[in-house]
Order: sequence, then C-alpha cells, then structure tokens
Amino acid sequence: LKIDRRLFVNFDWILLVIVMAISGLGLLNLYSAGFNLAGSRGEPLYIKQAYWILIGLILMIAAFSIDYRIIIRHAYTIHAISLLLLFLVFFLGNITHGSQRWLVFYGFSFQPSELVKLTMVIALARFYKDNQIDEGYYLRNALILLFIIMVPFLMIMRQPDLGTSLFLALLFFTMVFFMGMRRNIVISIAAVSSVLAPLLWFIMKDYQRERILSFLNPERDPLGSGYHIIQSIIAIGSGGFFGKGYLRGTQTQLKFLPEQQTDFVFSVFAEEWGFLGVFVLMFIFLSLILWGFKIARNSRDLPGTLIAFGVTMFIFWEVFINIGMVLGLFPVVGIPLPFLSYGGSSMVILLTGIGLLMNISMRRFVLHP
Amino acid sequence: MLEKQNRLTDYDPGKFKRKFNVLLWLVSFALFLLISRLWYLQIIKGDDLRQRSENNRIRIQEVKPLRGLIYDARGDILVDNQPSFDVSLIPEDTKDIKGVMKRLADLCDQDSVDLAKKLSAVKFRKPFVPIKIDKDIGRDKLAIVETNSLNLPGLMVDVVPVRKYVYGEEMAHVLGYVGEISAGELGDEYYKDYRSDDIVGKYGTERYLDRYLKGVSGGEQVEVNVRGRKLSVLGRVEPVPGFNITLTLDARLQKMCWDAFTEKAGSVIVMDPRDGSLLALISKPSFNPNLFNRGIPEEIWESLSKDVLSPLQNRSISGQYPPGSLYKLIVAAAALEEGVINKDTKIGCNGTFDMGNRTFRCWRKAGHGLVNLHQAIVESCDVYFYHLGEMLGVEKLADYSKKFGFGSKTFIELYGEKEGLVPTKRWKRERFKESWQGGETISLSIGQGFVLVTPLQLIRAYSAIANGGILYKPRLIKRIATAEGDIVREFIPEKESSIPLRKKTLEILRYALWGAVNEENGTGWSLKREARDVSGKTGTAQVVAMPKDGKEEEKEIPYKIRDHALFVCYAPRNTPEIAVLVVVEHGGHGGSTAAPIARRIVDGYFDLKKYDAGLMAQSIKEAASVSDISSRDGI
Repeated sequence: LKIDRRLFVNFDWILLVIVMAISGLGLLNLYSAGFNLAGSRGEPLYIKQAYWILIGLILMIAAFSIDYRIIIRHAYTIHAISLLLLFLVFFLGNITHGSQRWLVFYGFSFQPSELVKLTMVIALARFYKDNQIDEGYYLRNALILLFIIMVPFLMIMRQPDLGTSLFLALLFFTMVFFMGMRRNIVISIAAVSSVLAPLLWFIMKDYQRERILSFLNPERDPLGSGYHIIQSIIAIGSGGFFGKGYLRGTQTQLKFLPEQQTDFVFSVFAEEWGFLGVFVLMFIFLSLILWGFKIARNSRDLPGTLIAFGVTMFIFWEVFINIGMVLGLFPVVGIPLPFLSYGGSSMVILLTGIGLLMNISMRRFVLHP
Repeated sequence: MLEKQNRLTDYDPGKFKRKFNVLLWLVSFALFLLISRLWYLQIIKGDDLRQRSENNRIRIQEVKPLRGLIYDARGDILVDNQPSFDVSLIPEDTKDIKGVMKRLADLCDQDSVDLAKKLSAVKFRKPFVPIKIDKDIGRDKLAIVETNSLNLPGLMVDVVPVRKYVYGEEMAHVLGYVGEISAGELGDEYYKDYRSDDIVGKYGTERYLDRYLKGVSGGEQVEVNVRGRKLSVLGRVEPVPGFNITLTLDARLQKMCWDAFTEKAGSVIVMDPRDGSLLALISKPSFNPNLFNRGIPEEIWESLSKDVLSPLQNRSISGQYPPGSLYKLIVAAAALEEGVINKDTKIGCNGTFDMGNRTFRCWRKAGHGLVNLHQAIVESCDVYFYHLGEMLGVEKLADYSKKFGFGSKTFIELYGEKEGLVPTKRWKRERFKESWQGGETISLSIGQGFVLVTPLQLIRAYSAIANGGILYKPRLIKRIATAEGDIVREFIPEKESSIPLRKKTLEILRYALWGAVNEENGTGWSLKREARDVSGKTGTAQVVAMPKDGKEEEKEIPYKIRDHALFVCYAPRNTPEIAVLVVVEHGGHGGSTAAPIARRIVDGYFDLKKYDAGLMAQSIKEAASVSDISSRDGI
C-alpha cells in the first residue's frame, strides 16, 4: 500500500482540534458530575471515559487510514455485521432497567444500536452510489431502503429502546429527503406515519407514556416522572448568566439532578458555566456541524458527500434532541449528548464517525485511480 | 463498469449547493431555538430558578434550647442537665446491617434479636433519617461503641441533654419530672405553640414553670442533598436557654426531713412563718423522677400508678386529712373571739360528753377534771372542746375555719392542690340531702367528722398563729432569672389576709402551744428541749370511730384503719422563724410518732443555722484578715 504524501498535507487538523476541544470539555464536565460520588466504588467515570476516548482515537485513525471507497465497497457487509451484533443482543445481551441493549465482552460493555447508527449511514451511501437517479426514486428502491432501516429499527424497538429506534428512523429520513424523493412517495410516507404515530401510543411501555405525559405537563407528577425534567430546568436556569462555578452547581453536587453523567450531562454544564459557557459550547457544536457540511460539499464523490452528511446530521440530531430534551422542549428519550454524555459505545462510534469525516476531508483532492 | 467509473469522476458536488444552504439555515435556526430557550431559562427565569435550587438544598432545622436549671434558696443545684447518649443507625451508611447489629449486640452483651426487632419495627421512614436503636446507654457502653466505631459503620451516637434530679425521690413531689409532650397536651389550647417532639414538664415545678424553663428554640440553616442528608451548616440562630429557677427550699433541710421521716407514708412541711416561704416539703412515698427522663418503662409506670400508697400523689398539697386535735386551736380562737368563754373559763371533764343518746369520750378515759382553756389545749382535753363546739355551733366553726384558710386552695405554685372541706349545714343538705346533726358539731369540734384539711393549709394556719395572724400565700418560688443571671421575676411574699384575732387571743393560744410542749403534762412534752423554745400541738386523726374499750394495742390494729399521727410546731416561742408540720398516715398517736420526727427537724434546722452563722463569721474574719494584709501592704 502506497501512502500518498498529500494525505498528511491535507489532514483535517481543524476537525481534530474541534473534536478534542469538545471531548476535553466533556471530560472536565464529567469530572464535576462525578465529583460528588467520591468514595463510591470503582473507577470514576471520567477516567473510564478517557479510556473510551483513547479507544475511540485508535478507531478514528483506523477509520481515516482506510480509503472510504474501500469502506463503501464493503458497506453492506459492515452493516450486516452490525445487524448481527444487534441480533446477538437478544441472546447474549445484559438486561438493565428492563431492557436488553448491551453486549459484554472481556468486561467491556458495548451497545450495538450505537454502531448501527453509523453503519446505516455507510450502507445508505452505498445504496445511493449504486442507484443514482436524478429524478428521485421509485417504490422498488424505496422497499430496499425500508429494508435497510426496518430490520435494525424493529430489532432496537424490541430491546426495547424506542428513543434509539426513532432516532435511527429520523437519521434515515434525513438522508433520504436530502437525496430527494418523488412527491407522491413523500406524501404517502407522511400519510402512513401520521396514521401509525397514534398507534405508537399503544405499543409504548407505560414508562414511555409517562414520559410523554410528563413532558406535556411536568408538574403532573413532580416527584415521579416529571421529577427529572423539573430538576433539570431548575439546574439549567439557576446557572444564570455566569453559572455557579465549576464543581459548585448545587443541583449537581447535591444530586438533585438525576442521570447527570449521561442524559442530563448538559444540565450540569449549564448550571456550572451559565449562559456564557453554554453559548461557547453551542458555538463549538455549530462549528463542528458546519465543518461537517463543508466536508460533505467538498467531497469528490457522492458516497463521500453522503457519509459526511450522514455523520454530521447524526451529531446534529443528537445535540438538538438531547439539549431540547433537557430544556424541556422534547419528551425525555434516551439520546446522549455527543462527546459530553458518559458512554463508551457512543464515544467510540462518534470518534469513528469523525474518522470517516477526516477520511473524506483528506481525500478531497485525491484523484481516483 | 466503465460507465460507473465515469459517473464517479463526473460527480459534481455543486448540485447539492442549494440543499446545503438551506440546511445551514435550518441547523442555525435549530440551535438558535435552543439558545432562545436557554436565554429564557437562564436569564429571564434565572432568579426564580436560582431560588428554587436554594429551596431544594436548604432546610431549616430546629435547635432545641437547654432547659432552665432549678436551685434551692442557697444556690445549690437541684435540677441539672446532663448528657445522655443514644445510639442510632443510618441504614444507608452501611451495607451490612445485620452484621453491624450482631457486632453491636456482641459488644454490648445484648440480644441481637431485640435490636433487630427495633429496626424492623420502623416501617416508613425517609432515607438518611437515623433509626434510634438504643436510648440512654451508659458510659461503659458508650466507650465500647466509640472505640469500635470503625467496625460499626452507619452507627452514630447522639448526645441528648436530659434532666438530672440531684436529690432523686426526696424532691420529686416538688420538682416533678419531664416527658415528651403527649397527643392530648398538644390538642390543648395552653400548649398551642408547642411542637410534637417538645419535652415538657409533666408534674411539679417542671410543669408549673414550664414556660419559663423551656427556653426558645434556635434554628439552623443546613444544606442537604437530594436524600435529605445534612451536609453542612450555613447559618445558625442560637437557642435561648430556659430561665433558671430559685426555690425557697433549703436542700439540706429537705434532706433532713426526708431522713427523719422513716414512716411509710405522710407529709412534712417546713415553713418560715414570717413570710410563708416553704423551706422543705416532702411527701412519702415518692418516686425517682430520673426514671421518667427518656420515657418511663411501662412496668415501672404500672407499679407506680397501681401502688396502694400512691407514690405519685403529693400528700403535702393534695392529701386531705381530718385535722384532729390540731383543729382545737381554731375552735379556741373562735370561742375567745366570740366571747363564748374567756381564758379562765373552766369546764369539768369526766371523760365523757353526752349529747342526746350519744356519748362522746375524751381520749383520757379518766377525764381531766376541772380545766381552763390553757390546760385544755396543753393536755388536749376533748370534752372541753365538745362544750365549746356545742356553744359555738357549726356555722361559727366553719366561719373561723375559713378565716384560717381551710376549705380553699392556698394557691401554692404547684398543680394538683386540694381544697379540703369545711362542713356547714348547707353543705350537708346539698351533699347528703340531710339536715345537720348536733353530734356532728361535737365531732367537728375536735377536728373529726367531715372536716378535711391539707397539710399545707394546716401549716399555713399555724404559721399565722405564730406570726401574729397573717395568712401568707405559701411561697415556693423565690426568683426566676435568665441563664446569664438577670432577674426576670422576683417573687415577694404575699399576704393573703389577716385573721381578725385580738392580740390577747393570740397570746393565749401561743402560750397554750408553748405549754403543750414545755409543761410536764403537755402532749408534746417529748419534744421539750432545754436549749429550744418550741411551741406545738399534737393531733391524732381517727380514720375509723374510736374503739369503745380502747383496749387494743396500736400495733395490732390493721395498718389501713390506724389513726393518722399529726404534729405541728414552731420556734422560737416569741420570734418564730420556723414552723414544722408532720403528718404520719396511720402512724397512731401524734405525740409518739409525729412529734419525734418534728423534733429532729427543728434540731436540724437550728444546727444548720448555727453552722451557717459560723461560716459567715469565718468568712467575715477571712475578709477582715485579707483587708489586714492589704492595709499592711499599703504601708
């Protein structure tokens, strides 16, 4: 394998700096969120998260080292492996809080549904590479697309993890709409989903319905399901303009804020750093997303554009949904905040995705063989 | 294949340009939406939500004040606060509750099942709220728990101040005891500003002066975490300790009375006749008030409340007895004042007095012969007083009884006082729907029959004879002062009334009382002391009608129907400064049972007085020698 010197010249340092900045803030914030747990057994989560970042960086290097066109070539295989892991969860998965989401090997637990988010993006890129039709797509192709999405969607829903499965669908449709569809298909999908949406209510578990209801009115059950969102809003709002100071957030340090290392990690940041800190964080996220769009636009080929677009929207939707959720704009669904929430699978997959962005970015000038 | 390759190289990214421009706006708008919401929450609602976060973490906790102390007149401490140690467990702080309980049980030689029961008895509780496992552990156990604290995670020792009654049962009836406020008391209007876990006085001075003793609670602003666990103290308002009380009692004299009174049941009161101050007040049997501190064990409460001798009753203020011969002085006063007799009027006593078909007897079967009033009091001749009673009539007797303070409360600063009973014709009609019988007046004239008095009423009446006719309100509380010593309230002696007696009448009565002790045939002769100048009167109050033949020996009579023995005295004769009343329930004759007790108390009082004077002289001498030295230094 001959290594092109231009790959180094064109390496996307800016992207690396942006991602390292966010991950650094994430670690700092996680230290604060876990500060009050001093003395509890096991390693603190920020240390664990640092390990995950290291693993993620290795995978990131792997992801930009291999030419993305080779990855595209094996896209369906990669997606199939990811679906196989998802399938294994049903047999080998660990059950926590009533749902089966985790695979554990050698002490590492891994969430295949996170991996699926990324492999679906790759598989879709491959699909559009093979089926370019400028005038939109026919139902025949749409059925293949549905198959790519429906299998993981249903499996994740069975775990059950409604939030992640809906997220997968959201990401899927984002890419599909980006590529364009015939108007009548768009209309029929809209019609079908508006009919199916109320049906969702009936397949939802009780706790999921509780979440929707308490989203609509958090004070309905302030000590039960509404508790999370009320405490989150108090934490964020009480931060004010300048915040309460690092390690000084009372909502966080006195544990009034639930799930503060995972889903509600943003509230920790907002409480301690205030509007000023949050503004900076949002600015960095926006930079990352716009940078991702730039990479997508500058790609030499369609799969590059699509992967870059998919990965960027993956990050965008997670940021938007997670922050919207802790701000009380959306119901509580288990979507992590990229690079800030504690979670090995999420971190590793995000960094791998960033690796793909770098892959596409550094090869924008490379002529095809 | 080639065509496909071409397509790739022909790829024109520009065709997505419009879409990316739209996306850029969409993404920016989405993030702007989030920023707007953040602005709303953090800037517009920031202060409200900051307040809510403070409310989350800050709790106000009550800090209980120390209860006021109680001293005797000389400043000796009677009731103190001392630490008591409780052991409690916070289950959240230990992983192995059973193990901890077992180790604790082993260390303290206690039944672990017992402890586990206590733990499981608590069903509903908030997290991090300690469960009380053991109350009031001794210092030995405390040392064990403290040294093994590392092996007993989750276990904590609380220090709770409890009352220490220095004199135990000797002063229980005066000082009382405390306990947690009951549901009934909480519902009472009087306790409306009390809280459910307050300690309140339940009896005695503790109860009477509870409002002064309890103090004012302080508060602590504490930071808690989500589980309510106290993390730090942010602010504190110190509690104000309760006021200290000084009583008029002399603890040494009280102890002397307690030691002198070796009988089963009865009362001793020592009063300063000059101002009505109580110097000692005991009631026997008594109880140990220290047992009530942390909630009295059920079985002890049972045995106390079911005891036939009722140790929970303060006989000095709520025991009601026939005054017996002690009543004769009131009859004599009435007779002299009403002019029925003068001091020289003589009446013959042959041992009996007939009234209709009834015969009333004198305690001396042979009779006293021809006696005047002085002799009649000295020798306690019953027949003489039967005649006086007959001449005066029940209404006059009742009238003078009331003047001496019988039949109504003295309003001593203690709860539970009884009024006694002064019978009148009207009372008899209302009570029994029967008219007054002449014979009942005869019984009344020697303090038998319906008339009932409390020991406190008796000593007050005799103090009035001693001091020239002034009826004082009994004074138990001398002073209330803050913990720093600033006087809150000084209790000055209160005259209730002056008994309208002529000076001459008083002189006759006081001479007779002197005679009863100091003349050879006086009933209180046994009390005579060369050095003292004691005046007094014996009394024997019949519980059942006197046996006809009088043959039976005292000891053979069942306890319950034996006579009450009474004795009252004061000293010195002309300038009385101490009055003593002894009531021995079922003690037989006043002269033989009650008088010796009184004698020891009077002796003890004067010994103490001499001792105090000696101390005083010595301290004056010391002060003088100090000033000597200093003046020498000056030269």
